[in-house]
Amino acid sequence: MKQANRNGVDDPLVRMQGIVKRFPGLVANDCVDLDIRGGEILALLGENGAGKTTLMNVLYGMLRADEGTIELEGEELDVRSPRDALGAGIGMVHQHFCLVEDMTVAENVALGLSPGNPGRWQVGEITGRLEQLAELHGLGVDPGALVSDLSVGERQRLEILKALYRGARVLILDEPSAVLTAEEWRALAEALRSLAAQGRGIVLITHKLDEILHVADRCTVMRHGRVVGTVAVADADKAQLARLMVGRDVDLRIPYEPSEPGAEVLSVEGLSLEEDGRRLLDDVDLTIRAGETFGIAGVEGNGQWPLVQLLTGLRQPSSGSISVGGRRVERMDPAAFTAVGGGLIPEDRHRTAVAEDLSLSDNLIMKEISTRPLSRHGVFDRGATEDRARQLVEGYDIRTPGISVLMRQLSGGNQQKAVLARELVREPVLLIAAQPTRGLDVGAMQFVYEQLSAHRRRGGATLLISAELDEVLSLSDRVGVMVKGSIVATLSHEQTDRETIGRLMTGVAA
Amino acid sequence: MSARRIFYAAEPTLFSVLVAIVALAIAMVIVALSGNSPAAALEALWEGAFGSTSRIASTLNAMVPLVLVALGWIFAFRSKRVNVGLEGQMLIGGALSAAVALEIGGLPLAVHLPLAVLAGLLGGALYAGVAAWMWARRDVNEIVSTLMLNLIAVQVISWLVRGPLQIPGSDLSRTAPFPDSSRWPQLIADTALRWDVLVPVAALVLAAFVLNRTTFGFRLRLTGANEEAAEHAGVRVKRVGVTALAISGGLAGLAGSSVLIGGQTGTMTDGFAAGIGFEGIAVALLARNSPVGVLPAALLFAVLQQGGGLMEARLGIPSNLVLVTQGLVIVFVAAGTFLLRRRRRARVSAAGTGTGQGAVVDGSAVEGVA
Repeated sequence: MKQANRNGVDDPLVRMQGIVKRFPGLVANDCVDLDIRGGEILALLGENGAGKTTLMNVLYGMLRADEGTIELEGEELDVRSPRDALGAGIGMVHQHFCLVEDMTVAENVALGLSPGNPGRWQVGEITGRLEQLAELHGLGVDPGALVSDLSVGERQRLEILKALYRGARVLILDEPSAVLTAEEWRALAEALRSLAAQGRGIVLITHKLDEILHVADRCTVMRHGRVVGTVAVADADKAQLARLMVGRDVDLRIPYEPSEPGAEVLSVEGLSLEEDGRRLLDDVDLTIRAGETFGIAGVEGNGQWPLVQLLTGLRQPSSGSISVGGRRVERMDPAAFTAVGGGLIPEDRHRTAVAEDLSLSDNLIMKEISTRPLSRHGVFDRGATEDRARQLVEGYDIRTPGISVLMRQLSGGNQQKAVLARELVREPVLLIAAQPTRGLDVGAMQFVYEQLSAHRRRGGATLLISAELDEVLSLSDRVGVMVKGSIVATLSHEQTDRETIGRLMTGVAA
Repeated sequence: MSARRIFYAAEPTLFSVLVAIVALAIAMVIVALSGNSPAAALEALWEGAFGSTSRIASTLNAMVPLVLVALGWIFAFRSKRVNVGLEGQMLIGGALSAAVALEIGGLPLAVHLPLAVLAGLLGGALYAGVAAWMWARRDVNEIVSTLMLNLIAVQVISWLVRGPLQIPGSDLSRTAPFPDSSRWPQLIADTALRWDVLVPVAALVLAAFVLNRTTFGFRLRLTGANEEAAEHAGVRVKRVGVTALAISGGLAGLAGSSVLIGGQTGTMTDGFAAGIGFEGIAVALLARNSPVGVLPAALLFAVLQQGGGLMEARLGIPSNLVLVTQGLVIVFVAAGTFLLRRRRRARVSAAGTGTGQGAVVDGSAVEGVA
């Protein structure tokens, strides 16, 4: 579907020119130009808050631009709603899916196609076309399955299929990899290439450099609401992209410093967890010493989360024991975990780490509230809590207008800083960090790494669980590979390399 | 701080005031359409509520259970438990209070009255405790269970006033008059106002303090805001939920007790809660779940209730119009909360820039529209 104009140069599929979008007190898009070409994958790169999503929401009709024009194949386009956008062939897959859980895949596709209930015959027709589309692009989803039974990856594929079914020629994906495992991401990347090969324009909103290098053809970089450059990915490298995105040189390498582990901090023996006859955790032995970081590598869903739940006392093991500081903890619960000097950076920030409807201050002090001087005899001291919160805001460089703002008003990076502040300020002997950099941009990521290594230098033990293999490899003194609920191999830092671990992770014997 | 900040802080209050005014205005349009003078209706409403010392006393008296029930709702709601059984807890609390008033004799007021009040508190708390227990142990949804327990409570009262607590030697379905030693003394002679008017005031101060200044209140709010995060922070969320429901029921029980031993008739009859257990929820909604906001909201409902009577007597406008007005208030609050939330999201983007932290735009702007 590529079109050539008289000069023989490719006309873009979509041309956004001079887009200005203002929010009260803020210019989210400041005179932005963007071309989306058919047949290519365009990465839209920028830190959290750079205005990427806003720009794409303007294109998708969810927001109205204050100024600027949008052209689709040379003709001016007036999109006032997602409906208009879809009608014009522009589809978008948001980070948060818009699916009806109690309906089947096919019914979800049928929704919004025509008024009224989807009739049987229509669903049948949809099923056929869906299977066709799915096969063509490797986007397999069972059309008859209930959405509530689908994995996150399948839901995402369904969202893409929904857009394709409506004839989308431009497909926008907002941070699609945030919810995917590495495996799923590779499959998605394949599908995107296949879609682009058919002449569609694909826009990938992301702040992950690896992904861009992996899949994109061009990359437009945004910073503070403006486009700061567009580069051909073939000529770009990570450092260059990072510099464009952040506006300064960034050291993306995580230097490994050898450590001298001290006394045993965490010792786990024969830890197992069974649920409905399934063994979620199978006879796990684990020791972590003071000043040591133990990394867990593994495809997500192989027992990492149950392990965290048992260690922090959110669940009780079926068998096995947990000792902290040489003393066996008879019954672990979250309060006991904190009491023995445990800190936790949970995997799912929004769901488990912060209360978004409470203030930043409340979130910072929630684990200390029952201790002096923040409270006495069950009554807390406003002054002391506020001092504490301010101290943490300053010490951990949390960018906020004040300590009383609601947590949800902060960016992901600043929320994570708050979590780190809360967990690290008590100088825990044991820190469990699960996906500590998920969803963070480069700047915030660096901050997390610095804090983790400061904790290690202080002599703190760390259990690091991450889907980013590079992160695990460069931060850990020892790496355990988890497959189907058990640790199949433990390697020292010197022994680890991507290939070995990758083989172990996927269950291929070394 | 700045005028703008004060405005934003006051906005929810302004919104509630606006809701009340618009609801009243629509009610007056209905009055006009029915061929009556809105001015006369408003005058009757005002006079009925504030026209004399006695009327003011009645209005204040009507506020007592409303405030208590509303506080009860707020307590549960802040921990994300929905207690729609406040009516039933009023009934059971009131009945226990009445039983203490009637069955224990020969005590001085200084002992008998506090006992009766305490019985009300306890009755409501225990009755809510049934639902709380089922929720904590068996995962029974408390919305369903509290609602169902209301029906049982109605039958229990019905049985009590025709059975064990029936006035001796009579067919009337009511209890004997409560002895004076168990009733709240009058605050102003020959009016409805009794000393129990101080109960909601004390409850309000205490509730605000517990919610905002104690570690228990903190845990309660944390549980309500994010149960999982609370659990991670070492909060026993089930315990918090059960306690919140029990407190909620206790406050409703106090309301039931007040209606009886602080009321005019001095006996217990069928259905003495008269829907106050639900009206109180509307009061809490209008107050936007803030303890302080409960006072003006309860006043509005009490005025409608008291003034509506005179309006009917003088102009022949059915006092059901009062119900219509209350209904409008609820609809507007529900709709308005949604609008307000959207506006607040938009404002979030503005808040971010002040410190050169535009990071909020990507996420929140999306949500604001989605």
